[in-house]
Amino acid sequence: MQPSQGVLLAVLALPFLAAAVTPLLYRVVGERVAYFAAAVAAGAFALIASQFGTHGTVSLQWIPALDVSLALYVDGLSLLLGLIVSGVGVLIFTYSGAYMHDEPGKAKYYTTLLVFMGAMLGVAFAADLLALFVFWELTSVSSFILIGHYQDQDDSQYAARKAMFITVAGGLFMLVGFLLLYTVSGDVLGEATFRLVGTEGALIENAGAMQEGLRSAGLFVPVVVLIGIGAAAKSAQVPLHIWLPNAMEAPTPVSAFLHSATMVKAGVYLVGRFRPLLGTPEWELFFATLGLLTMTVAAILAVAADDIKELLAYSTASHLGLIIAGFGLQSVYGAETGAFHILNHALFKAALFLVAGIVAHEAGTRLLSELGGLWRALPITAAVAAIAALGMAGLPPFNGFYSKELLFEATYHAAEHAGGLWWLLPAVAVFGSIFTFLYSIRFLSLFAGEKPEAIEHVHSPPMAMLAPPVLLATLAGIVGLGGVSATAGIHLGPLEHFIERVVEAVGASEPHFGYHLPTSLTPAAGMSAITIVVGAVTYPFYGRIAAGVQRLIAIDPIRPNFYYDGLVSWLDRTTIVSGTVHTGRLRTYATWFFLAVAGLAIAGYSGAGVVFPAISSLAAEPAMVIVLAVAVVAALAVTRAPSHIAGVLTLSILGFMVAIFYILASAPDLALTQLVIETLVLVLFLLILDHLPEFYGEVDRIRALRDGAVSAVVGITVFLTVLVSTAATPGKPIAQYFIERAGVPAEHGSTLLDFGGGGNIVNVILVDFRAFDTMGEISVIAMAALSVITLIAMRERGETQ
Amino acid sequence: MSEHVVVAPLVVALVTAILTLGVRRYPRTQRTISLLGIGAYAVAVITLASRVVPLGVLTGGGGTTETLTYQLSNWPAPFGISLVADALSVFMLVLAVLVVVPALVFSVLYIEEFGQRISYHALFHFMLAGVSGSFLTGDIFNLFVWFEVMLMPSYVLVVFYGRAKHTRAALQYTVLNLLGSAVMLVAIGGIYATMGTLNMADLARRLAHAGEYGINPAPVLGLGAILFAVFALKAGIVPFQFWVPAAYRAAPAPIAAVMAGVTKKVGIYAIIRLLFTVFGAATLESELGFGMAGTSFLGLFGPVLFLMAIGSIFLGGLGAVSRNDLDNVLAYSSIGQVGFIVLALALAATGEGTVRTVGLIAALIYSLNHAIAKSLLFLVSGTVYEAVGSIRFDALGGLSTKRPVIAGSFFLGGIALVGIPPLTGFFGKLLVFDTAGKAIVAGEPFAEVALAVALAGAILTIAYFSRAWNRAFWGTPSEPVTRSYQPTTMVVLVGAFALLVVVLGIGFDPVYRAADAAAHAATEWETYVEAVGPEVIE
Repeated sequence: MQPSQGVLLAVLALPFLAAAVTPLLYRVVGERVAYFAAAVAAGAFALIASQFGTHGTVSLQWIPALDVSLALYVDGLSLLLGLIVSGVGVLIFTYSGAYMHDEPGKAKYYTTLLVFMGAMLGVAFAADLLALFVFWELTSVSSFILIGHYQDQDDSQYAARKAMFITVAGGLFMLVGFLLLYTVSGDVLGEATFRLVGTEGALIENAGAMQEGLRSAGLFVPVVVLIGIGAAAKSAQVPLHIWLPNAMEAPTPVSAFLHSATMVKAGVYLVGRFRPLLGTPEWELFFATLGLLTMTVAAILAVAADDIKELLAYSTASHLGLIIAGFGLQSVYGAETGAFHILNHALFKAALFLVAGIVAHEAGTRLLSELGGLWRALPITAAVAAIAALGMAGLPPFNGFYSKELLFEATYHAAEHAGGLWWLLPAVAVFGSIFTFLYSIRFLSLFAGEKPEAIEHVHSPPMAMLAPPVLLATLAGIVGLGGVSATAGIHLGPLEHFIERVVEAVGASEPHFGYHLPTSLTPAAGMSAITIVVGAVTYPFYGRIAAGVQRLIAIDPIRPNFYYDGLVSWLDRTTIVSGTVHTGRLRTYATWFFLAVAGLAIAGYSGAGVVFPAISSLAAEPAMVIVLAVAVVAALAVTRAPSHIAGVLTLSILGFMVAIFYILASAPDLALTQLVIETLVLVLFLLILDHLPEFYGEVDRIRALRDGAVSAVVGITVFLTVLVSTAATPGKPIAQYFIERAGVPAEHGSTLLDFGGGGNIVNVILVDFRAFDTMGEISVIAMAALSVITLIAMRERGETQ
Repeated sequence: MSEHVVVAPLVVALVTAILTLGVRRYPRTQRTISLLGIGAYAVAVITLASRVVPLGVLTGGGGTTETLTYQLSNWPAPFGISLVADALSVFMLVLAVLVVVPALVFSVLYIEEFGQRISYHALFHFMLAGVSGSFLTGDIFNLFVWFEVMLMPSYVLVVFYGRAKHTRAALQYTVLNLLGSAVMLVAIGGIYATMGTLNMADLARRLAHAGEYGINPAPVLGLGAILFAVFALKAGIVPFQFWVPAAYRAAPAPIAAVMAGVTKKVGIYAIIRLLFTVFGAATLESELGFGMAGTSFLGLFGPVLFLMAIGSIFLGGLGAVSRNDLDNVLAYSSIGQVGFIVLALALAATGEGTVRTVGLIAALIYSLNHAIAKSLLFLVSGTVYEAVGSIRFDALGGLSTKRPVIAGSFFLGGIALVGIPPLTGFFGKLLVFDTAGKAIVAGEPFAEVALAVALAGAILTIAYFSRAWNRAFWGTPSEPVTRSYQPTTMVVLVGAFALLVVVLGIGFDPVYRAADAAAHAATEWETYVEAVGPEVIE
């Protein structure tokens, strides 16, 4: 059944429209705007749910000239993400209503959060690569604003900038990948398309041909890597995971919503979405490695964390790695791992973040080392934490167990299939899971034991803060119990069927999804057993392990932030441009200009193989030679003049020689002009010389040599330019037109006289043919006069009002 | 066919300039005339634009673009001066309108009354006349003249505030541009001597059929390279960028907006016109030397543009990250952003067919975005100065809570530079990446390098935008910020201008079609020649 266009557009429009009215609404209803936002999310959830069971595309043209449309596609995967986003959204807005009670900037907070939700729903449903990218980047920008919510804190600023740096930059890599796909699709499909999925001419529908086209262009691996970088940046995969722990500077509901349940899922969603298009052995190698590496490294880092939000942040990165690894592996188990764990992780991790928020709110600290024994004061919260944390640990029969089993199965399957180094996959999966088990139990331990004395009375949280995590944990619990009942033969039909559709969307054909507790000793069950047993045995040494990891990551090249911090602090401080290149000295700037111009000209002449006329052809009359020789001597003398007066006088010798040159060359009008200018300039110079300092300053020898060399280069370039120009004899020059119509001799007729009003070619050209030039130059002179007035009138006034 | 509408923008600007000088004694009248003049200018440009690029072309509903010409004094081309309005010229003119209208309105609010009365309005409109003439002229000597008309007021406007630092900046700006004017004359003289004409259409035709006209095109490559250097100086491309930071910092905010937004683009326009229209069919008799490929003139300019683009992107980006006041960041950013435009031009010059067209479209869209976003940011900087009394980061901080609209406008302008969708800047970045991608698929040289540089440059943009934002707009409100006041009219103006970045991005389709038409106008030199119709001397 086709999805309804109106409903899908409403799903997208609703959050943005709500965001637009939120600042105004906030002035009226105050912080109750949270429940308005929750209602919007609930509306979106209901609308999406109404599309359950549909499958297909609706499309609205956006930029027809580029064939970009707002195409929305509904299948299992987009429904899953859409429901998670809007569903968790309802809970987060409700929770925020209580949590944000005493916080600043609430109008901005809810507006941005709504924009984020709209953008995230866009990511879920967009079937056009550019539309997808638009929403993708909008989530990054709203995340920037939300992480920087406490904008006067240095840590928040640092975190927001880092998140933007990494996610937006990663997005650009992804964009390049999209564009390469677009270009290649033009060769493969006849017409280039941005449409990813859902229509006949879409990329995924032609996956085989696209893969071949990419390979023959040598772009297959680059495209996988570029898209991989985008996904890895967004989903905090190693080594781009470093922004996520800092992002915890955001208010806790934001962390729960953006940085665990939804936004960071965009990356894994993308990997799942592209799996049918690019799923190949290279893909498997890249993403299985990336995912398992992240899963393990982030789990180890989580063990070293003392702040519960930091622990959860690393844990999130780790679990996203698990999903990526699943989507990387090409067996059906891989697809099932990713599909099922997206749901499971959203349920247990969002719940845990909300628990962390309650703990921080009610106990006043987030440090594991300061917390403990909270179960007495927060019994319901403790129960929620137990269900969620045991799911996170992968303990049966909690929900996370089943998807982790699938990962074990997928890695084992891949290793069995390919052998050799691929056996590392299951080994790493187990290794990473042991750490997951450890930190999950550690998280739970803050409820156990006795309460430290430093913690004063712990209040129980308000309903609005308690209900959302309870609901999430209940759902997680139901998913877990579904596996137990399935062992007994009673399956959670709708859920399994839904996941089956997700699995289908990520590229498995005819999937049959079902999950239950292991009934025999399969390899996966064995791996789970190893994980749990080793985890339980090593847990007593948790403190020592954590200390070891902390020592290790304090070493500079291994320190997670070493490279980012080094680069950014260098960028923020470097004076390589402002100090070294832009020296503030006009001399340097002029040198660069002259040498660059000369270089370009010479490159042009030599590249084109210009033949310079022989010097012998430059024979001139003796009078001309004498005049020019005097000019050259005068020019040299200027550079050695001992005073201003001597310099100006020698300079005018040069000028007058040029005037005489014009006379000899039969250009009396030019000569007259030159004489007037020379005389005026000389007089002006002499008038103002009095006001200049007498001292020229010493020129050191090296600089003199350098300047001499620069002038020689410029001189030679201009000389060559004049040489080739004057030697050229173009056919049919426009000058011929004027000469043939000039008043003299009489047989040329009277065109110039009749239509130009004069017989002198030069005059008629100046005031008629090229009167426009003359007008422009007159304006320049007028402006020069105006400039003088301005300079005098505005002198020393500054920017004062 | 002579179309008077072609000359209209120029006439309006010149007449307004003269009128504002005439009524200097009556400041209120002067301001009114100036504002009416800018309105009339906008109307003239839009009228012209709608004749050249009919609405149907913009909506995809059909229709064809035209090339209108105006032969001054009705002398036939190439003997008189031709003005030519094709899709490329009007694209640039509309770009100018989008910047100068808000900039002038802002000036009326921002520049102190005495300064306005002395000469500000006349200089502003003269500068606009120079810009319009440069976009419209079809004659290379006339181009020189309009460059001068554009530069002369800009010299004064840089030194407008008249203190030592302004004088120093203006001196450097003036000297470098005078050097540019001098070598430009050398190049134009040389081209006239070797080609026998000054008319651009005539030049293009003669270069395409060099044999028929008895012309040796070889020297023109070197002469064209000199001319190109002068255009690069106007556009502030490395290594001709030295004047940029000091001049932008010294100039009043609305002038910095116009210089970064519009006069820089005159340089870009001139490069496009020279390389793709005039030199469009220019070929040498033998292969280019030194490992440059082919016989086309572009074989030289392609690699040169690459080097200049790489230099600009890194110099501008690295320069901007560490600066400590808004104007300085914006000025260095201008160098870097123009580098992206040049990068697209480099790909267009080395590529052929689709790559060339898409490269030009990318350059034009990027120019448009930079014009709007950068001038918006300079106006924001002016508003901040007005409100707080400083644009230094150490005196700012916490503006986003105190002055949310100013902060929001800066944010939009900044993320437009970064290239966040759906703002105009996104499409600039998108098309530059797309050009590089297409060049890679087509196996063009340097394409991978171009892509890597574009990515690195984009990351630098994120770095300096986010730093400026954190330093100036987040943080605890500083004492001057707490004391700041709200210059309401300015804030409304800047806020409305910021919305343009969003509107043009969401309604991008007609913008793209206009750029597409302009790119075709730039490369289809035959159409240009035919429209101008230079006579042949027998």
